[in-house]
Amino acid sequence: MKKKVYTFDVVNYILLGLFALITLYPFIYVIAGSFNDGMDYSGGGVWLVPRKVTLANYKVVFSDNGFWKAFGLTIGVTILGTFGALAVTSAVAYAISRKELRFRNFFQIFNLITMFFGGGLIPYFLIIVSLGLYDTFWVYIFPSLYSVYNMIIMQSFFKSIPEEMREAAVMDGAGELRIWLSIYLPLSKPVLATVGLWLATGFWNSYFSTMAYTRAGDLSTLQYFLMRMIKEAKVDTGGLDPSLIEQTTSTTISFAAIVIATLPILFVYPFIQKYFSKGIMIGSLKG
Amino acid sequence: MDSKKIRKKWTSRDVTLLVMAGLSVVFLLIFAYAPMFGVLLAFKDGDYKLNLLGAITDAPWCGFDNFKAFLLDPNFADAIVNTICLNLIMLVINFPAPILFALLINEVRSARYKKTVQTITNFPHFISWVIFGGLVIALTDMSTGIFNPIMNALGLSSEENPVNLQGAEYFWATVIITSLIKGVGWGSIVYIAAISGLDADMYEAAELDGANRLQKAIYITLPGIAPTITVFLLLSISGMLSNSFDQFYILQNSLNLSRSEVLTTYIYKTGLSQRRYSYASALGLFNSVVSVVLLILSNFISKRATGRGIF
Repeated sequence: MKKKVYTFDVVNYILLGLFALITLYPFIYVIAGSFNDGMDYSGGGVWLVPRKVTLANYKVVFSDNGFWKAFGLTIGVTILGTFGALAVTSAVAYAISRKELRFRNFFQIFNLITMFFGGGLIPYFLIIVSLGLYDTFWVYIFPSLYSVYNMIIMQSFFKSIPEEMREAAVMDGAGELRIWLSIYLPLSKPVLATVGLWLATGFWNSYFSTMAYTRAGDLSTLQYFLMRMIKEAKVDTGGLDPSLIEQTTSTTISFAAIVIATLPILFVYPFIQKYFSKGIMIGSLKG
Repeated sequence: MDSKKIRKKWTSRDVTLLVMAGLSVVFLLIFAYAPMFGVLLAFKDGDYKLNLLGAITDAPWCGFDNFKAFLLDPNFADAIVNTICLNLIMLVINFPAPILFALLINEVRSARYKKTVQTITNFPHFISWVIFGGLVIALTDMSTGIFNPIMNALGLSSEENPVNLQGAEYFWATVIITSLIKGVGWGSIVYIAAISGLDADMYEAAELDGANRLQKAIYITLPGIAPTITVFLLLSISGMLSNSFDQFYILQNSLNLSRSEVLTTYIYKTGLSQRRYSYASALGLFNSVVSVVLLILSNFISKRATGRGIF
């Protein structure tokens, strides 16, 4: 009996460890390739560590104006979009969490319906075009400012805040906006962090909006830029030192770009780890 | 509800709350409800129109012509077969995988090992499909990837006669495996949370009765998280036609198109690349209707069979 349990534990540890290694490996592979000479990489066999080490791939990416432009735009979209969406979504969530809200049932049903029915891609595209959002910076921001799913998660958290806090503020003459801003939001840091990090990674990883709702020129997002690199081997090496270009290929350059684009996610990942399980608990237990 | 019968006077508080909640109405009217009316385009002859809004108001009605057109289109047949087959396979493999993973993680006693495995396996969820797909494309490359040498070593292929893992015959396997790697860790979180919420007394009682770990998993843990499983099962059945667009779009190439075209990518291509707006709207409407029907149907069956559903 004891022996059997022991065997299971060993197998279990090995299985889970193996799965973790398989998950980790692609990242190791791409990091190795990004530091490797392009032509040398093409010969195959660069699987764990770079064989002919060079920084040329990174130098090419760093000197690419298009890359930096896309990088900057994506940072702008991520910051503006995340804070904008948190503001709008938490305002709605606060109001809907209040029993005093008039027509509360209407608001709840009006929101819920959209979780099950949608118009589809083309009618949505039609709305984007007729609003004049097509090929503007705002097409990345406006449509994403409100999400029903995030609202539900926030309002279930708001409901757990003791009623006495609000009553005390009401006695002091605070209005609803004031209560939302200076009582509910500061008390809701875990849920704001969770939803904020979801939103931020969503904005950071978005490429479809560029592809579908812009002409993709100056409004390229980072992920769209990467996709062109990966799928179409589209790399701009104009005006660079030929000896530098010699050490690269479009593939190894795209590896360097992939590594750079993944770094920001890696930096916020510890925070995601800290908050997301809480967020999921909120969503699954009360949602 | 009953105390509301006596209508209280409107205060500035009511107005503020109403404005705040009203924000959702504004956004949903524009970005969710208005597109619902846009589905009228599916019944119009509005393909290739430059002025989309004009297409919906001025173009002549054409009944179900667009629907007939796609039902007769061999490309649509390909897309629908791929979509349905892949989703059925994924329902059998990719749906239970996070549940199994959660059960296994739950048996790990070392908190540190547990945390490390979870930290690594959750990470890919936060990486875009552009990047993750880029990694997959690199790893499956015929001359520089790692899989061809492995397959050669196993005798599944040879240097003289290499297999192209990015070709059509390997596409489904690629999709299933990459979805597992990207999704299992994150997908297991809800189940792990549900397991941690189960009553510890039941496990103690079972131990006293001499139950082993497998028996505890089968007779306590699984029934305990059954409500969570039901909800996610119903949601994944209703989402059967809406494959992750990103994954397919990124991994698609001209060689594997016969196996990699799914409904979502087909709608994108016909609609936005080829500007067949009405045709693609009809496809989109078909997709939404089937999804809602699947949800209602599976919910009904689940309620009959287990007494549980999501509504």
